[in-house]
Amino acid sequence: MSPPQGIGDYDRVGIPRDAYLDLARKLDWEFSYVREEDAFPREICGEPYLPGEAWRDWDEPFRTSYSEYVAMQAAKNADVRAVRDAVGRVEDFASLPRSWINALKLHGAVLPLAEFAAVVGNLRAARFGRDSAWRGAALLGALDELRHTQIPLDLMHGLVRLDPQFDFAHRFYHSNNWVAIAARHVADELLLASDPIEFAIATNFVFETGFTNLQFVGLSSLARLVGDRAFEKVLTSIQSDEARHSQIGAPVLEHVLAHDPAYAQRLVDKWFWRSFHLFAIVTGFAMDYLTPLAHRTLSFKEFMHEWVLEQFVASLERYGLSKPWYWDEFVASLDHYHHQVYVSAYTYRMTVWFDLVVPGPEERAWLGSKYPESFPAYEQVWERVDEAWQKADVGNEMAVHGTAIIGFCNLCQLVLCHGTPSENAASTLEHAGRRYIFCSNPCRAIFEAEPERYAEHRDVVARVLAGEAPGNLAAMLREYFGLTLETWGRDVHAGDYPWLDRGKPSARGPA
Amino acid sequence: MIPVYGFLEGDTLGILLLLDEQETVRDVIEKLQRSSRLRVAPREGLSVVHLGVVLDLDARVADAPIRALERIDVMRCESLREEVGPR
Repeated sequence: MSPPQGIGDYDRVGIPRDAYLDLARKLDWEFSYVREEDAFPREICGEPYLPGEAWRDWDEPFRTSYSEYVAMQAAKNADVRAVRDAVGRVEDFASLPRSWINALKLHGAVLPLAEFAAVVGNLRAARFGRDSAWRGAALLGALDELRHTQIPLDLMHGLVRLDPQFDFAHRFYHSNNWVAIAARHVADELLLASDPIEFAIATNFVFETGFTNLQFVGLSSLARLVGDRAFEKVLTSIQSDEARHSQIGAPVLEHVLAHDPAYAQRLVDKWFWRSFHLFAIVTGFAMDYLTPLAHRTLSFKEFMHEWVLEQFVASLERYGLSKPWYWDEFVASLDHYHHQVYVSAYTYRMTVWFDLVVPGPEERAWLGSKYPESFPAYEQVWERVDEAWQKADVGNEMAVHGTAIIGFCNLCQLVLCHGTPSENAASTLEHAGRRYIFCSNPCRAIFEAEPERYAEHRDVVARVLAGEAPGNLAAMLREYFGLTLETWGRDVHAGDYPWLDRGKPSARGPA
Repeated sequence: MIPVYGFLEGDTLGILLLLDEQETVRDVIEKLQRSSRLRVAPREGLSVVHLGVVLDLDARVADAPIRALERIDVMRCESLREEVGPR
């Protein structure tokens, strides 16, 4: 007997989908040989720990049978493969704008293996979620995330022949690169260590409902405009899964709200901020700097307003939740944070695995029009970078590169880049005999709410001071960040920009 | 050596500075400006603020007193507000 090929098989045997699906979704029963708390231990299942009966009305909006899932995913995979075969060859990518290629490297390193960690989070829910329908939906979510790992890794692996920096699509999370340390810090907690309740609210509700549209819809539209059909197809295919399994979050949230609304609000507050940091860099860099100006539509801030502020705030209101307590600080940071991190990263580009670009005069004018209140402060910094390149020979990257050790936030592990250039928002805290520094008030508050969760983690500075990581930049790049001459970041154009006055005697001041 | 986080007005990120106890506050300004010069042009007329207090430029680091992993700000004198609070 051949295995079922999809919903068609069930039609042949005459069982309509609606006749069996509820029976298949709802398979819980009363335990008689073990206690419920042994089968579903409190410390793994999460809080609030409710009797199993309290979860029996758990209901997901998108009901999917396994048979339907297999049929849908097979069709989507065939679509992705067809597009990749047609327009996803190395030659196709080689013809794309060079700055855009680096948006792919950033996405390719940070997201696919994080999706693999999300397999674990989903599988924990597939075992320890408190209702069988939740467990079934989470199992499909785990299969989704496996697909979200494999598809981009497959694509990026082929591109290593084009550019060895694409190797970081797999290498990144296995390295001690400072961005990887930060990404692991959030991914470990969000995807590997959280219980099914926190996972559902943090990952499914906040991260996937609130933010992934930004990357998978917003960025895919830019990919289409740039002409990167293969990446566009990968992103839209992944987003169709995200839209389905993100629906796990709402029914879990409803149950938590009914029993412990303060905890639900705390999880939303915490994970909104942590998610924002990740997307401000991955999506913010791509939208405002690495996408060629001719193909940009909205700024990162405008995308955030459209996809996150309006839609997510509506979701919060629907559930009677408040905006996070730091909302004003968050909104203000949309004018600053990713600009601060980008220009900082540019001046330390050899510490990352992708190349960065200096915005030219037209791009600065565009950024100035999109960020009239904040960009003038960053334009001054870019003018300073211009001056350094004017004095340096083309390709002399070290002449336009920082050498001092930079500070990192003890919560998010990213560089100390919040507030504004005139008033950085960092603050220090003494806890249990150790001094910590945080880039922002929300990062500090997240730490203070659960210091036992974060206090032992050592940031790059602590590792340097402990002798665990080298203090010398060159040694750190090679020995600790896992970079080589072939893979460390450079200027996309080697500093050879037409607007620079290189060659004019007046441009060459004293060294 | 005392490691501290230095924030130069106009710069985009915090820098880890290793201070010698014998160097002066004026030396600290120069050290931070040197570390940030790719992003911010060096200038005169700067002050160091530590825990809300403007430090004497001729004081030694050992006398400040600045402890490990604290924050110091290097700001233009005209940016100093009357009420500079600890961070």
